[in-house]
Amino acid sequence: MEFLHIAWAYKEMLLVGAATTAVISGASILLGMPLGLAFAFGLVSHNRPIRLFCAVYRSFWRGTPLLVQILLVFYLLPSIGLDLSPVTAAVLALILNTSAFQAEIFRGGLSAVPKGQVEAAQMLGIAPITIRRRIVIPQLLRLVTPAITNEFISILKNSSIISVISVTELLRTGQQIVSATYRPLEVYGLIAIIYIVMNLVIAQLGRRAEARLARGARA
Amino acid sequence: MALNGQPRVELAASDREVVIEVEELTKTFGPVPVLNGIDLKIRRSEVVCIIGPSGSGKSTLLRCLAFLDPYTGGRVSIEGQLLGYKQQGERRLMQGHRELAKVRRNVGMVFQHFNLWPHMTALENVALALRVTRKLKADQAEREAREALSKVGLGDKAGNYPSQLSGGQQQRVAIARALAMKPHVILFDEPTSALDPELVGEVLGVMRQLAVEGMTMAIVTHEMGFAAQMADTVVFMDRGVILEQGSPDEIFKNPRNDRLKQFLDTWRTRSF
Ligand SMILES: Nc1ncnc2c1ncn2[C@@H]1O[C@H](COP(=O)(O)OP(=O)(O)OP(=O)(O)O)[C@@H](O)[C@H]1O
Ligand SMILES: [Mg+2]
Repeated sequence: MEFLHIAWAYKEMLLVGAATTAVISGASILLGMPLGLAFAFGLVSHNRPIRLFCAVYRSFWRGTPLLVQILLVFYLLPSIGLDLSPVTAAVLALILNTSAFQAEIFRGGLSAVPKGQVEAAQMLGIAPITIRRRIVIPQLLRLVTPAITNEFISILKNSSIISVISVTELLRTGQQIVSATYRPLEVYGLIAIIYIVMNLVIAQLGRRAEARLARGARA
Repeated sequence: MALNGQPRVELAASDREVVIEVEELTKTFGPVPVLNGIDLKIRRSEVVCIIGPSGSGKSTLLRCLAFLDPYTGGRVSIEGQLLGYKQQGERRLMQGHRELAKVRRNVGMVFQHFNLWPHMTALENVALALRVTRKLKADQAEREAREALSKVGLGDKAGNYPSQLSGGQQQRVAIARALAMKPHVILFDEPTSALDPELVGEVLGVMRQLAVEGMTMAIVTHEMGFAAQMADTVVFMDRGVILEQGSPDEIFKNPRNDRLKQFLDTWRTRSF
């Protein structure tokens, strides 16, 4: 009962916290997507320096803890004269992080488009750029939707880490409520449920996007 | 079509112009030799069927004729033009995709697994290259694409996605897609091997019609009946070389090479 009590008493704070989490992760995923696609094509480029650069970028952002990345962005950028608010620094770190993971997802999707389809196009004299635009990318988006949905879910969960640079997202909201109520078990249980609900919504959206992109195609 | 209306029998085979010429062709995958010196001429309106055991290099040969696999040695010429390479002094450099596309312009290819684009309808599959390669206007491209689909008996399936077509219908769309480019020669790599037995006939029927109309074709196939009936020349490959080539009668009724005899025996026991 205490549980519902707290939820009701702090409903506005919780709503704002959840919205902050949703907006930050949503923005990161969307802004990270074109970047990720560009890096994916970079990873399979015939140009060696480009390929190398993209591989190093990917390895850095996939190979270091998100917390380290957020702190680096937060403390590094001001030191080179860029004064960022905590929220901006957090979103920037998340974008750069997710772009590396999305690059890997898109790269995997690229290799899942059957090579024969590209060969058929080559035999018909279709230029490489057109093959990419008309044949590869439309199928790529369909193929990667489940993986991108997963990435969205991890970003949403991982975004809780940005509470360390005092962004009042969902988890930090919870911490504030705990210090007012001294009911950590109930409050964190509540926070967990809110995360689950948001993730169920994302999963549902992902399934819808997948169904829409399938449009008669069943490779 | 290439014969200006003359029935094909009136021209002696050896008088016809060479469309594809293969000389001393070799191909290795890394250290593994796969083609070990192939010589072959494919003439205008000729139907060449390539047979041989699994792994003998039939697909690789066909892919080299299309330069989907770059060959290692020798040369392939399409209507007199060197395919895939350009000579620069001593060295042989790979052609860029534009130069390659130009030499390959009149070569069509039909694959075992159709390789249709699943997110496009049959009509869109056929029309895409008409738009972007032949640069036709949308309505003209659509008209010609529909014509090609009608030719393979699929005029009423233009709006279907590949997943809404049977295997035989998909392969016929793939043939229409190649045909719409008005190629001078079409390469087929086991066009019926991925099909349920009851669907083989409809695809062979379309190919038979093309042969009668004078299309030049190179066909890798396990359909011995089709080869015996339709081929002008049958080529038997084994371990990366051509062991015997000749008319269907010579190859099927009067084989000289021991490995060919053995291959045909195995095939006969398997099909009864
Ligand atoms: N991409 C490749 N890399 C390495 N080896 C290859 C490659 N493609 C084919 N080979 C090898 O080359 C040989 C010839 O293969 P190919 O596919 O041309 O035979 P095939 O006559 O078409 O056989 P099948 O009747 O089974 O289709 C085989 O030993 C095969 O393992
Ligand atoms: Mg083969």
